[in-house]
Amino acid sequence: MEEKFYKEFEVFSRRRSDLPMEHRFSILAPNLEMAYILAKENFFRRESIHDLWVVERSNIRRMSEEEREGFKRIDNKHYRETKGYADLPKQWRKLEEMLSSEG
Amino acid sequence: MVTAYEFRHLSEEEKYERFMERIERGEKIEAHDWMPDDYRTNLIKLIAMHGISEIMGAFPEKEWVPKAPTLHRKLAIMAKVQDEVGHGQLLLRVAEDLMKPLGKDREDIMQDLFEKRLKFHNVFHMPAPTWADAAIIAWLVDGAAILTQTMLLKTSYGPYGRALKRICQEESFHAKHGESLVLALASGSDYQRKMLQEALNRWWEPLLMFFGPRSAKEVGHSKVDVNIKYKIRSKTNEELRQEFLTKYVPQIKRLGLTIPDETLRFDEDKQQWIYKDPDWEKFKQIINGNGPKTDSRLKLRRDSYEKTAWVREALAKYNKNRMLVG
Amino acid sequence: MTDNKILRELIYQLADDNFIHSYRGSEWLGLVPHIEEDVAYSSITQDTMGHAYMFYKLLEEMGEGNSDELAHARKPKDFRNAILLEEKNGTGTYLDNPDYDWAFTVVRNLFYNVYKETQLESLKQSSYEPLSITARKIETEQYYHLMHWKTWFMQLMQSTEEARTRMENAIRRVWKDFGGVISQGRYADEFSARKYIEPEEVLGQRCLDKLGELCKSVDFNLEGKPGMEKGNGRNGEHTEDLKQALETLSEVYFSDAEASSW
Ligand SMILES: [Fe+2]
Ligand SMILES: [Fe+2]
Repeated sequence: MEEKFYKEFEVFSRRRSDLPMEHRFSILAPNLEMAYILAKENFFRRESIHDLWVVERSNIRRMSEEEREGFKRIDNKHYRETKGYADLPKQWRKLEEMLSSEG
Repeated sequence: MVTAYEFRHLSEEEKYERFMERIERGEKIEAHDWMPDDYRTNLIKLIAMHGISEIMGAFPEKEWVPKAPTLHRKLAIMAKVQDEVGHGQLLLRVAEDLMKPLGKDREDIMQDLFEKRLKFHNVFHMPAPTWADAAIIAWLVDGAAILTQTMLLKTSYGPYGRALKRICQEESFHAKHGESLVLALASGSDYQRKMLQEALNRWWEPLLMFFGPRSAKEVGHSKVDVNIKYKIRSKTNEELRQEFLTKYVPQIKRLGLTIPDETLRFDEDKQQWIYKDPDWEKFKQIINGNGPKTDSRLKLRRDSYEKTAWVREALAKYNKNRMLVG
Repeated sequence: MTDNKILRELIYQLADDNFIHSYRGSEWLGLVPHIEEDVAYSSITQDTMGHAYMFYKLLEEMGEGNSDELAHARKPKDFRNAILLEEKNGTGTYLDNPDYDWAFTVVRNLFYNVYKETQLESLKQSSYEPLSITARKIETEQYYHLMHWKTWFMQLMQSTEEARTRMENAIRRVWKDFGGVISQGRYADEFSARKYIEPEEVLGQRCLDKLGELCKSVDFNLEGKPGMEKGNGRNGEHTEDLKQALETLSEVYFSDAEASSW
């Protein structure tokens, strides 16, 4: 391990139990415990928090710019979204018409 | 749009073209994205200066923290100065991430500051000899900074924009704090009103200087054009100064204060403020580290940093010890 | 002595401890070893000033006068804070050429906050209800303060030899006057007789046990009883350091006799 005082830590928090974890910012600190106590007052002096995570940046696998291009999707996946099923009311009507004309 | 496969094979020129397209589209650039060298160097220059200005900006006001005249004022100015250090923290983190590929970190920033290679805003080289100076700083220096920072909110560099968003939220408290301080003095005793007027007299020229020269003519060089090309910023120095005058001249008059510039007036035809130009030669001197308080404040910073070097050394080692034990 | 006068004596101790302690903290602003720590420490300093404010408010409600007056306009001999808390952070002033001692600050802050935690625990049961309510409120912020200084203490004690030496020297220095922190002054017996707070010996021992354990966990033995070399602040004995502190704290307050508000 490198003998360095200035190490980078990323800070995440959750405001309320029903909200997701959010990235807040990063800080420099010599180790995880110190990063944790520093994070609290550097980012939460005006708000209370429900949860607080501090992660050393070297432990994070981040997306590269190439991957940002590579992870794009073609807009052809309506079958897995509700909007791909917009014709359901029409189908219902069709069925009802069919049944009533039969009856 | 390029795909990941194409992206890998782009030439430097193609990358530059693609970068400029992203800028034109209003996309935000992230720390690890490809960026032209002069985009990076301009950002570092701008953001490191902004960050270290927040850090040095704590100094004139911090002199008044223990001296604030009531318990409430003591608490408020302490919180305000703390926020400024916090802004410094956010901005330095942004600058440090940009400097990392160049092999530089916070230690280099501190050394650059001590050696006067890293500049900070002219206003923080100035003395704050009375409590009213703390009031004028919080109201008008912060007022000026708010205009600049709000303009920068839409900057093309994503991490800078995110830091500024947080900063601007806190600045709205600073503005109220400053307004409350000047109101109390302006509606106070003769002594208090005189103190406030004298502080305004001291700060007027530095405030006009704060936005920087109108063009490269005044100081010989300027980064404004490049920064506008890259959409790092969107307004010129003069546009911001005009905004400042429009916003604050009427309020200063409402307080019953006199602005120390007899030539100041709004030209209806040109739709702009006419004012006495600050001494740009003096500005250059100050920015280059020859202001009235530059050396003493830098010495305070440097001494405290050097005298606590043993603490940073100790904690850098603490990890290692723990590794050995654990 | 009336009950009321006795009670006020105790609350002055609480108010003045927090006020002076916060002042010494505020002098560190911009001078601490690390920018992120500057922000964190400043929060603790503000909280502590907030605590002082709450105690001065209690005195105000008891008819002692306006809280700003109580903080800014009393003579040093009327202050009831422990002498350890008024001691300067080092030589020089915060404005000019300060040679401040971070080890002393960490140890003093930790030791005082361990006492403060013990004190608040006891005050929560105080027979004077406004005091127990205030103690309960303050306790919510105390957890983080203690955690902060514990982290600094533990890490510096287990790092380099230089840091260890500085820290041990700081502990010895703090120990010389820590007796003044746990002292409740000349009315100690009346405080506990009226159940405002537990007896001095009980609280003191509880605090020393906690400190002893903390130090033991980093292989340091706290030897003997803490001293009171510079005198007992609870009885109005003080040093030049308090005089300097109060002059700074009230410089603007006294600068204009005509001013009715700031
Ligand atoms: Fe700021
Ligand atoms: Fe501000």
